[in-house]
Amino acid sequence: MSSEVKRACVVIPAYNEAKVIAKVVKDMRYALKKSPFSGDIVVIDDGSKDATAAQARTAGAIVIEHILNSGAGGATATGLSFAWQNNYDLAATMDADGQHNPEDVIKGMEKLVKHDTDLLIGSRLINTDGMSRTKVIGNRGLSAITYILFGIRSTDSQSGLRIFSKKALERLRWKTSGYEFCSEMLWRANQLHLKIDEYPIKAIYTDYSKTKGQNNWNGFNIVKSLLKRRIMEVFQ
Amino acid sequence: MSRYLLLFLLNVPFIVAGLLNSLVTFKMKKISRTRFFLQTLLWIVILIGLAAAKPLYEWLFSNNLTVSEPLSIFDVIQITAIVIVFYIANRSMAKVSTLEKRVQDLHQEISIRLR
Repeated sequence: MSSEVKRACVVIPAYNEAKVIAKVVKDMRYALKKSPFSGDIVVIDDGSKDATAAQARTAGAIVIEHILNSGAGGATATGLSFAWQNNYDLAATMDADGQHNPEDVIKGMEKLVKHDTDLLIGSRLINTDGMSRTKVIGNRGLSAITYILFGIRSTDSQSGLRIFSKKALERLRWKTSGYEFCSEMLWRANQLHLKIDEYPIKAIYTDYSKTKGQNNWNGFNIVKSLLKRRIMEVFQ
Repeated sequence: MSRYLLLFLLNVPFIVAGLLNSLVTFKMKKISRTRFFLQTLLWIVILIGLAAAKPLYEWLFSNNLTVSEPLSIFDVIQITAIVIVFYIANRSMAKVSTLEKRVQDLHQEISIRLR
């Protein structure tokens, strides 16, 4: 890694996460302070009905409030666009429900810089300890569908922990705004010949985080949307 | 006037408009080359299909490949309606996807600026 301190932007898309967002932001700030990186935590409040924005602001995050609920894909796009506009050297996205360990985020940033990768996925499925069987099956199924539709091999195509290089921030864009953006992002990165890699992370499942995140039934909506996007692309 | 000629004349303006729209949007770099070729191909196939409707029907009929009645006025209206609907749907889809992208970008930019 070069001696120059890299500026990192940690993007946290959040929707009705007032209960946990302050802790997530504080933990991430602490981890960032201890790390070789400088930077900011940016919370994208995606039109929450609770005090998510206020809690995040109090905890020290930069808060961008969406006027309308746009979905996880839309909120992530806003956060990464902010990172690009403000000239950060790299960016990371993580979930707002506290399922990601801030140390894993830092580890990913270090790996990205060291291996000169453009998009690094934190995979929860390399080591599935602590993850329910339903979630393992659901996530593996979506990764398989991502491979069938777009030809991209990833053990965890739906992971919310992702690290982006400056090049990825500049070039990577996607069209879907729901959870299906996770697979579409990989597809677009592949089309742009960006260097994609993954590394193992450990997801923390609390009673709270188990109630959040994707429902397996939503997987059908994701598949439907991805299929539609794949077919439409032929005509675009 | 022959019903086949009437069918052709009623539909030609929409086909020409469809072809022109594809060309203009492509030249303005709003659609990809693939989409332009596909749209153009589709309209040309429709144009050839309508222009050759009479000889095609006669050939099919004389070779016992169809037993349907020759073109009626109702058929002319129905086929024209389908072509118009196709034209409108194609235009609407292009407009909706452009607007969707613009609204997304606008929402994103407003949120960042108002923070």
